[in-house]
Amino acid sequence: MNFEKTSFAFFIVLALTLNFGFFIGDIDNPAHHDAMELGAALVVSIIATILKFGDRSSMGAVFLATSLVADLQLLLAAIFWGLAISNGGVTPEVVARVVSLSGGALLANLVSVTLLVAEAIVYRR
Amino acid sequence: MYGMNDIVWLTMRRMRLPLIVLLLVFFASVLVMVTLPGVNAEGEPVHLSYLDAAYFVAIMSTTIGFGEIPYPFTDTQRMVVLALVFPNVIAWLYSFGVILQLLLDRQFQQVMARSRFGRKVRGMGSDSFYLVCGFGSTGYVVVQGLLARGKRAVVMDADEDLVHARALDPRFTFTPIFGGDPTIPANLERAGLERDNCRGVIITTDDDHANLTMAITSKLLRPSLPVFARSEDDRVSDNMRSFGTDHVINPYEIFAERLYLALTSPIKYLVQDWLITVPGKPMRHRKLEPRTGRWIVCGAGRFGSQVIERLARDGTPYTVVDVHPERSGDYEGAILGRGTEAHTLKQAGIEDAVGIIACTGDDIDNLSIIMTARELNDKLFQIVRQEDQRNTPLFDKLGADLVAQRSLIVARRILAVATNPMLATFLDHLVHENDEFAEKVFARLKACVETYCGQGVEDWPSPQQWTVELDASHAPGAAALFEADMELTLSYLLHNTRSERDEDLHCVCLEIERGAQRLFLPANSTRLQPGDRLLFAGWGRARHEMMWSLEDPVLLLNYATPGPAPRTSIGRWLWRRRQADSGRI
Repeated sequence: MNFEKTSFAFFIVLALTLNFGFFIGDIDNPAHHDAMELGAALVVSIIATILKFGDRSSMGAVFLATSLVADLQLLLAAIFWGLAISNGGVTPEVVARVVSLSGGALLANLVSVTLLVAEAIVYRR
Repeated sequence: MYGMNDIVWLTMRRMRLPLIVLLLVFFASVLVMVTLPGVNAEGEPVHLSYLDAAYFVAIMSTTIGFGEIPYPFTDTQRMVVLALVFPNVIAWLYSFGVILQLLLDRQFQQVMARSRFGRKVRGMGSDSFYLVCGFGSTGYVVVQGLLARGKRAVVMDADEDLVHARALDPRFTFTPIFGGDPTIPANLERAGLERDNCRGVIITTDDDHANLTMAITSKLLRPSLPVFARSEDDRVSDNMRSFGTDHVINPYEIFAERLYLALTSPIKYLVQDWLITVPGKPMRHRKLEPRTGRWIVCGAGRFGSQVIERLARDGTPYTVVDVHPERSGDYEGAILGRGTEAHTLKQAGIEDAVGIIACTGDDIDNLSIIMTARELNDKLFQIVRQEDQRNTPLFDKLGADLVAQRSLIVARRILAVATNPMLATFLDHLVHENDEFAEKVFARLKACVETYCGQGVEDWPSPQQWTVELDASHAPGAAALFEADMELTLSYLLHNTRSERDEDLHCVCLEIERGAQRLFLPANSTRLQPGDRLLFAGWGRARHEMMWSLEDPVLLLNYATPGPAPRTSIGRWLWRRRQADSGRI
């Protein structure tokens, strides 16, 4: 049982699931998208990134890159959401923008999980 | 330098007259068309504009002919056009002909080929390559061998037809090949001699003087670059060594040496054979068993005389058979004749000889000698010389004990020393050590290939050889262990660190180079140090897996420590804390 691997896999998959939960629903309907879920996805994604710091293998470098992409997308989504609240309400246009950004992050998270499987195959121990 | 501007300049020089003629005729025609009045749709007189006129003349002279613009011509205009058509069309065809002639011109094609070659060499970027001069049968085998070992080559040969024929081979698609004289310094420079990624110059033509010239040129232009040169003449060989040629390869010498090994130490011969065969080719299993006694040498040319010299040095009795009286006269009791006829061989005492060496310059004669000799004495040890690569199926069918092929001997030796310098020192050691050492190497390799192939398999493939260097840039995995002050023994490298099963790689460590120290056939418990260079021979995925161990930052560490080794910063921090805790307890 490799604690390092397990914890990283846990956080990466959790980031993906939370992200998916936020993303699913009508793209411009505020009722279908929960701000708390977006926040949680962002935090978990950042934790996963930090867990990958210092991995000098080539696989580790790609992991770090994809994970950073997901962070960036989610961070932008969160900033837009926050700006909208302080500027008088969440309109359907804002929701659509935020959700599409989280959709991008979802894609990056999917790549991370694919890499996770590939790593498990490459390092057979 | 050379290249594009050469082509442009040549084209310009050739096209000067046709272009002048074309322009004069064209402008004269345009002027005539502008001054001639035509009529418009209303019947009023109009002149063509310069644009219309130029357009019309261009369309007419190129025989495209879209018609009369802007209005249908008058009879006068048509008569004038009739007069203009011929000079214009002739001027066009003349220019066209000159251009075609230029494209078909041999000199021009050479310039084109040269610039293409230069572009291809530059296009190799930073890939390291060997510069191979001579693309005859030796060069051909060398280049194939380099490609098979994952190296790249740049090839040059003075025989253009040969180059064109060989360049069609799809295997050489990404190998720059040039038909030009490699003894000319400018050509060597064009082939990338001065480039940083050139790893060595390999000279393989069958002209000793040309080889000497190339070796000198290479050594003068780039003294630090290793040069591997073929030479078939002792004086030329000495000359080459005198100015620092790194390896002079004389096929006759090598063959005589190999023959001596085969006769005096079959086990050394066998191990050497295993290590210099092209990786993956099936290997000879059985040891040769030549008996002691008298030998018959057919053909006392350059090949034969080297062999005879070697036999004489050992005190082995021999009888020479040669068709040239001036050659056979040099040896005592020599028989005059080809050796292809039974009575000549009987005269030479074939019935009580132990072996025969057929080394005339003619393949068919050599085959015939061996076949005749077999009829007379089936216990003979047979050695035959082959000159032409195309006769290989015949020699395979013949099944002599040893086939000596000049081009192959040179090519194998060059490949062995050029692509793997450590192998050359190992083979040297093998030849000079006693038989016991060769037996040990043989036993190791045999045990390894048996586990790789499984029991009962008849055809063993020959091993690949590779060198690893334990420094931080080539082997971060090993460096991680050295940094952590942990022990790295040879057995770690021989293990498959990616696998969950406890499996060893199918390879044998032949030598460790540590500064000036050399350890041959080191034990698995040998402790390795930073900067060590190791030579391995192995099968299958052994090299691939070893590279994983060495290049991945933690696989070796993982294998060396009881728990999983940490990969990341946080993991390492936790691990250190745990180490400290356990230390306190």
